[in-house]
Amino acid sequence: MWSRGSHGRRLAALTVIGTAIVLPLVVFVLGPNMPPGKATQVAAGQVVDNTVLLVVMTPFTVFILVYLGYALVCFRAPKGEAELRDGPPLRGHLRAQVAWLVTTTAAVLFLAIFGTAELLADNGSGSGGGPSPAWKPGGTVLPVQVIGQQWEFTYRYPTYGGVETAQLVLPQGVEIAFHVTSLDVVHSFWAYELGVKADANPGVDNIAYVKTKKLGTFQIRCAELCGLWHGYMFDTGKIVTRSQFAAWIGARRRQFAPVAKYLPPYSTTYAPDPPYRAG
Amino acid sequence: MRRPRLIGFNLLTAVVLGVGGYFLGWWLGRQVTGPSLDYFGDTGQNDVALFVAYFVGVVGFLVGLGFANYPVQRMLGRPPSLREKETEGVGRYFGLCTDHKVVGIQYLLGIGAFIFIGGLNAMLIRFELLRPTHLAWNGNNYLTLVGIHGTMMMGMMTSGILGPFANYLVPLMIGARRMAFPRIEALTFWLLMAAGTILMTSLAFGGFPTGWTGYAPLDEQANMGIDAYIAFFALVGLSMTLLGLNMLATVITMRAPGLTWGRLPLFVWGTVSTSVLMLLAAPVLISTLFMLALDRTAQTGFFNSQAGGSPYLYENLFWIFGHPEVYILALPGMGILLEILPVFARKPVWGYRLAVTGMLGIMLLSFLVWQHHLFVSGINANLRPFYMLSTELISLPTGFIFVCALGTLWQGRIRLTVPMLFALAWIFNFLVGGLSGVFLSDVPSDTTTHGSFFSMAHFHYTIMGGLIFAFFAGIYYWVPKMTGFQLNERLGKIHFWVMFVAFNSTFGPLLVIGFLGMPRRVVTYAGYLQGANDWVSVSAFVLGASMLVFLGNFVWSLAFARVPAGANPWGSKSIEFQLPSPVPVHDFDRIPTFGADPYPYGQDGAAAAAGQRPIVSPARPTR
Amino acid sequence: MSELASDATDYSVVEREPSDVIAENLKAAARLWSSATVFFFFAFLFAYFYLRSLNQEHLWKPKGVHPPQGLGAAIVACLVAAAVLLHWAAVDQRSDRRPAWRLKGALALALGLAAIVLQVVAWTRLGFGPTDGGFASVYVGWTGLSLLFLLATLYWLETTLAVSFRYRAHSMAAPVPVEAGHAAGDAYREGQDIEDPVAVNVAELAGLTEYWTVLAAVGVISWIVLYLL
Ligand code: HEA
Ligand code: HEA
Ligand code: CUA
Ligand SMILES: [Cu+2]
Repeated sequence: MWSRGSHGRRLAALTVIGTAIVLPLVVFVLGPNMPPGKATQVAAGQVVDNTVLLVVMTPFTVFILVYLGYALVCFRAPKGEAELRDGPPLRGHLRAQVAWLVTTTAAVLFLAIFGTAELLADNGSGSGGGPSPAWKPGGTVLPVQVIGQQWEFTYRYPTYGGVETAQLVLPQGVEIAFHVTSLDVVHSFWAYELGVKADANPGVDNIAYVKTKKLGTFQIRCAELCGLWHGYMFDTGKIVTRSQFAAWIGARRRQFAPVAKYLPPYSTTYAPDPPYRAG
Repeated sequence: MRRPRLIGFNLLTAVVLGVGGYFLGWWLGRQVTGPSLDYFGDTGQNDVALFVAYFVGVVGFLVGLGFANYPVQRMLGRPPSLREKETEGVGRYFGLCTDHKVVGIQYLLGIGAFIFIGGLNAMLIRFELLRPTHLAWNGNNYLTLVGIHGTMMMGMMTSGILGPFANYLVPLMIGARRMAFPRIEALTFWLLMAAGTILMTSLAFGGFPTGWTGYAPLDEQANMGIDAYIAFFALVGLSMTLLGLNMLATVITMRAPGLTWGRLPLFVWGTVSTSVLMLLAAPVLISTLFMLALDRTAQTGFFNSQAGGSPYLYENLFWIFGHPEVYILALPGMGILLEILPVFARKPVWGYRLAVTGMLGIMLLSFLVWQHHLFVSGINANLRPFYMLSTELISLPTGFIFVCALGTLWQGRIRLTVPMLFALAWIFNFLVGGLSGVFLSDVPSDTTTHGSFFSMAHFHYTIMGGLIFAFFAGIYYWVPKMTGFQLNERLGKIHFWVMFVAFNSTFGPLLVIGFLGMPRRVVTYAGYLQGANDWVSVSAFVLGASMLVFLGNFVWSLAFARVPAGANPWGSKSIEFQLPSPVPVHDFDRIPTFGADPYPYGQDGAAAAAGQRPIVSPARPTR
Repeated sequence: MSELASDATDYSVVEREPSDVIAENLKAAARLWSSATVFFFFAFLFAYFYLRSLNQEHLWKPKGVHPPQGLGAAIVACLVAAAVLLHWAAVDQRSDRRPAWRLKGALALALGLAAIVLQVVAWTRLGFGPTDGGFASVYVGWTGLSLLFLLATLYWLETTLAVSFRYRAHSMAAPVPVEAGHAAGDAYREGQDIEDPVAVNVAELAGLTEYWTVLAAVGVISWIVLYLL
């Protein structure tokens, strides 16, 4: 009933209209509310990233869903057809295939380049980059060691005499360097609102950078299965003002002083007594 | 026709010898390790004895089935033979039979049983997650539920489509009467059944806490339940390697005259690309598990960072197998999709070469992307841009499959039969699954979603939404051919609609829950996520219920209603529908010669006589 | 009833399988199993270089861990020699000098068994145990897996020899007489379901020779990596 050309034009129109409707919703409504929020510069970077991903995917998704709907409406065999009648023997259409290849390749290359740029800038530094990450912050950095063990994260502040605490408190507006390691199995330090996640491996110093911005608390989870109480390995961290932090860390150091000599000295990795020692 | 004898090589003997072998192996293992490793004394933990027990048990099981007869005869110099127990009546389904159609049906029921267990596990997982705090399972039990659910599903669904449908249909589709190695084909099935049983014995040893990935050092710290996981995946790996080898040898050497590579049906192309991945990826898994078994028994230091090894080695080796494994799950689904769409759109496949290029592209790229599972692990982080690029490049060949599927619908005459509904649902589900995968492949975005319910929902969209929907499309499309009986259309549609809605209602919200920060494999979670989790759990129970509707339909239609399906219930022009249903044991009276095009729809434009392919009588009568 | 197949089972139509189809099957299988074998050992090659580069806690190769050079060289020599012998034997078989091929085949079998014995001896006199660091673990695992593959390949060689020996009286030209029994497979069918089993023997040896060459190559690489590097 409808000629081939008009199907094509109608589908193109529906796709354009659909995209025109969905794109603003994605950019202005969905995008900004994407996780993990804007508590730090790295987290804000991820929100932008997620929005760009959504934007690039929108036209393809709209096209496919519109096409499926259109096909279910227009390309149907009439009900109760006496005899099976075949459709036209169409085996391919070079221009359409080349067009699809070009657009998808362009979209994929853009995403790859954009992702790499984000990674080499400081947006990707929230993820564990190993002992020597590609991107390093310029100015002063506050190192904080995160020690994962079966079933608790503890934190050491090397620039404050290596004091170890069970609660993570960070000063506001400071570039933090998380040195994440483990005493037994693999854990993964996930500070949700900070946009940080770095695996804690025994014998490895996995570094992630983040610049704190908003005051307030953030959720800490373990994101790598570490056995029986993996589900209970969660905590709440806090970003406080610099003065509050100084007071807090001072109190911790006084409390920690008598115990200090029993703990192993601060080092980037710890080698607990293994089941057996080689060599 | 001889009466199947009770004594002799059959399933009963196999089970007796299998269980007997297990205890004999356990005793042998204790003798070997007794004095030297007795410091296990109190815990009764003896990995060496358990591995020996599993090994001797499996050998006993296979000997009982009759798998040892042929090798022994061959060692005595007897010439090779191809066929065994092919015409023995219903008994042949319960033993070693070399008829590829029998093995196909055995696979369908065997894998169905085990993924049903996997599905029950999933229901218990969702039951526990009804409450953010402890409800029914403690930490270890919950992790064992998740571990067995994941391991069983992945292990079984790896040959979930190739097992039943490729074994049954590839010989028919290429015009052959058998697989290249009929006994190896039967062996792959029985290995898988032994593996599934062994995985369930993990419950007797306290389960395992590592999930399906089995990361070190947790897998070395775990108790004996992990040995069942190791034995399971080793047997699954062996079964995969042999299945891949057999399929490739069959398609390479046994195509009928006239059937060039460019004329193969796309289901066969899906099988070929999957088989290459199985042949090459499974060995890496088996070697990795061999290293893990050595670490646990001979105290080697492969994955122990204090003994010269490193957990990073396990992670890398596991994912070098891991990612090809997930495309081993995806490609057969694509094969079924592109085989079914032409039939119910009454149009040839659009862009046959593009689709084949897509499948081969996915196959090749799948080996270059594995570190996208390790973005935050700290492993050579400077390579992340490369892995981001290689992972996102896979969207191109997958995109080809999508555009070929959509092109096939163009100006078609679509009939919404049950197989077509499942095929169309595959397109929607796999789109959501694939796009969520592209999110995960972007490192900054993956920083939040790694190890969260978002990545879990991603792979359920691609596997449950993709593979399992294609699996059911294949069941409704080919079971009438395999059994000769129709599956009830109305019950089929109820099953589809409940499953489609419940599936999206289960895993759609899980994408959001993952984004909101719920980690994977946690028995307790943050309170504010309970509402969403309860919605998901209830939807999952409805999804489980839809499976019962399917089972009801399956049993009722095949055992009671038994409505004969006839040779070609769908008016398909594919060759297997030119044969009677069920297909006789000898497949073809004469080996056919193939015409030019596997999808000759729309050839004569007007009335499409249901199903006559232009088959020329064979040139060489003997072959 | 479709024109491709009758409804009822007409099993008589399943003729005796032409030997060239079986030959094709075996050659394809040899090549496919070779590629799978390479990937089995790729995992250990990856483990070797990865653990060596990490050298976690400097425990890759603690002092005093040295592989037995002499035995290592002997093992790989046996493998390579057996491969050469098999190639020679294949030439003999193709030109119908079957007793000569059987002799070379038996020699290759002996060399294979010697390689296994030498490896076990090497294990007993290693001077280090599996717990002695990364290299020790990779050595034990790698050689262990090689042993398993060698055993399986020797079984394959033995069956090829046994068939050739059993039908030594038959010239290649005359087809083998009908012989019922287990090897005939389906207990309900009389006679052999392979047209000329002796002709298949040629393909078996060809496939085996090709596979053994790959195994020997893997053996040489193992020797270089485990002993020389
Ligand atoms: C069938 C199984 C299957 C399939 C097909 C896929 C397909 C893909 N997967 Fe997935 N994945 C899994 C199963 C699967 N995955 C499993 C089981 C895990 C977790 C294992 C575990 O940790 O336990 C996982 C985890 C996983 C991760 C790690 C997440 C983490 O733990 O941090 C990543 C990251 O890159 C990823 C990416 C991808 C990508 C990019 C694709 C691509 O192939 C998808 C390509 C498809 C499309 C993109 C849609 C169609 C294309 C178009 C319409 C063209 C236009 C599109 C664009 C231009 C973008 N997957
Ligand atoms: C093939 C793969 C597959 C399939 C089909 C499923 C199916 C389902 N999965 Fe799962 N799942 C995994 C693979 C799969 N899963 C993996 C790999 C993991 C990760 C494990 C880990 O973290 O280590 C996981 C983890 C996982 C979790 C996360 C647990 C956690 O991290 O704490 C959850 C939670 O909701 C879940 C739920 C479900 C549900 C509700 C279904 C439902 O779809 C189930 C519905 C029921 C069925 C699919 C059964 C159907 C079968 C029949 C009806 C028999 C048919 C009979 C014949 C054909 C004869 N799965
Ligand atoms: Cu620590 Cu999970
Ligand atoms: Cu992957």
